[in-house]
Amino acid sequence: MFGFFGIILKKNLMMKIISMDVMSTGVIAYYVLIASRDGFFTPIIGNAGDNGTYADPVPQAVILTAIVIGFSVQALMLVGVMKLARDNPTLETDEIEKNNTP
Amino acid sequence: MTNITIALIALPMCMGFSIYLLPKLDRYLAIFTALCSLAYGLQVLLNDTDLSIQLLDNFGVQLLVDQQSGYFILTNALVTTAVVFYCWNRGKSAFFYAQAIILHGSVNATFVCQDFISIYVALEVLGIAVFLLISYPRSDRSIWIALRYLFVSNTAMLFYLIGVGLVYQAAHSFAFSGLRVSPPEAIALILMALLVKGGVFVSGLWLPLTHSESETPVSALLSGVVVKAGVFPLIRCALIVPEIDPVLRIFGISTAIFGVVYAVFQKDTKLTLAFSTISQLGFVLAAPVVAGFYALTHGLVKSALFLIAGSLPSRSFKQLQSQPINTSVWIPLLIASLSVSGFPLLAGFGAKMVTFKNLLSWQDIILNIAAIGTTIYFAKFIFIPHTQLPETPETEAKQRGLLPAMVILLGGLILANFFYYQSAYTIDNIVKSLVTIGSGWLAYFVLFKNWEVNLSRNWEKLEHIIGGMTIMLTVMFWFVFAVSIA
Repeated sequence: MFGFFGIILKKNLMMKIISMDVMSTGVIAYYVLIASRDGFFTPIIGNAGDNGTYADPVPQAVILTAIVIGFSVQALMLVGVMKLARDNPTLETDEIEKNNTP
Repeated sequence: MTNITIALIALPMCMGFSIYLLPKLDRYLAIFTALCSLAYGLQVLLNDTDLSIQLLDNFGVQLLVDQQSGYFILTNALVTTAVVFYCWNRGKSAFFYAQAIILHGSVNATFVCQDFISIYVALEVLGIAVFLLISYPRSDRSIWIALRYLFVSNTAMLFYLIGVGLVYQAAHSFAFSGLRVSPPEAIALILMALLVKGGVFVSGLWLPLTHSESETPVSALLSGVVVKAGVFPLIRCALIVPEIDPVLRIFGISTAIFGVVYAVFQKDTKLTLAFSTISQLGFVLAAPVVAGFYALTHGLVKSALFLIAGSLPSRSFKQLQSQPINTSVWIPLLIASLSVSGFPLLAGFGAKMVTFKNLLSWQDIILNIAAIGTTIYFAKFIFIPHTQLPETPETEAKQRGLLPAMVILLGGLILANFFYYQSAYTIDNIVKSLVTIGSGWLAYFVLFKNWEVNLSRNWEKLEHIIGGMTIMLTVMFWFVFAVSIA
């Protein structure tokens, strides 16, 4: 959740985006944690012996989607920042906001 | 029917990419897709379909199609059709149509999905499509507005994912029904994220700027359908999990009042409409059972109003008061404003009455005040002076494509009466709505016409919006906690 504080506290737009990436990495790690609650073994028959300590494949499968989406959103935002940087080279959100709100 | 439902989601996505490959056919493909959803939506409504689909096995995608989703899909189809007609001769590139149709598809997908992960994917696709549509003019301001939107929505969706993880931990499934056994923090996270996405109450403060600064057709799409994609899962959850219902009703009421207060004091047409969207979403949430019909009428009216506001000569009310507008623009403006104020013969009346009938007693008074407030700020639109002006190339360019769009939206508004005409049209209701409108207009002339208040818009800064999420999260947690104990 450090990422979230970064989003609020960092003044620079670039840093805000990186903070968001940190936050999304945190969420992904959380899903991996949920998956490994019952065990660490790859869920393939015959891998874990009889006690069934398999990692749960469902959250892992689901979070793959989120990783891809997060990645594409990140890319889009960086393109936006590149465009904005031409007129606001410091990329300070306060300045950009002042210039662009009626 | 199962296959057709899957096609409903898949077709717009395929079409979106086909438009890219066949740029010459862009508008025709877009219209075709929207009409397909229109046919589907009508079919669902008229046949009273109630269809639940489970794709793949236990952890697969769940879909649910019923009356509620029928109304929402119909709204989406009509608004998209109208917007495509509006843009027909405005020189938009194939890219614009492709994004609009992908947006259409993702909104449709949210209206039929029944599990958290499919909703998540649909909402993210929607967020990206909206980003591209807002930044379409590529000016600095539009890019900043789009970036701000993506930032807020993506942060909210990260909170949503955490909530979904907690639900999975408790219920071992991603279905909506898993919410029943989940801890209050999971419910709070998911509700908060969806409230942000739907633009409800304080977490919806990103909405006014985004909706008012986008291009005309994009604002029509945003206000008409995109916000409903955030609200729809909330309504579904409220109908499945009874504990959420009171929480949503409280937020619905506060949103309705909050939006009205801001809208009454705005001096800019598009901003007033954007705040009005917030307030109307409150009406939608206030009675989840009949939300579909209210959403239909609001979607039609609001996209019509945004398209009209785009063809007015100015955005400021002061200027509009001093310089008469063309009667051919004023008439659709009048019809749309009357419908949203709840005037009989238009579908807004039926929607309001059905909503009021499904309210709890404590909600009734507050929502009536909000309804009067609605008529006050729409009086600002109705009483703009108008005359018959000669056609000039300039006005022609502004009104291009407006007529077919209005025929679709306002025609839909009149035909939609058909759904609820039996229960809504009683003498009591007609008198009540006329009294509401009369008192609103009276209040407008006596009090509000010359009353100027500058409400602070400091809260709409990016940091404040994102910080506001934490506050909403805390409030939401204690709400849900209190309800689950009681």
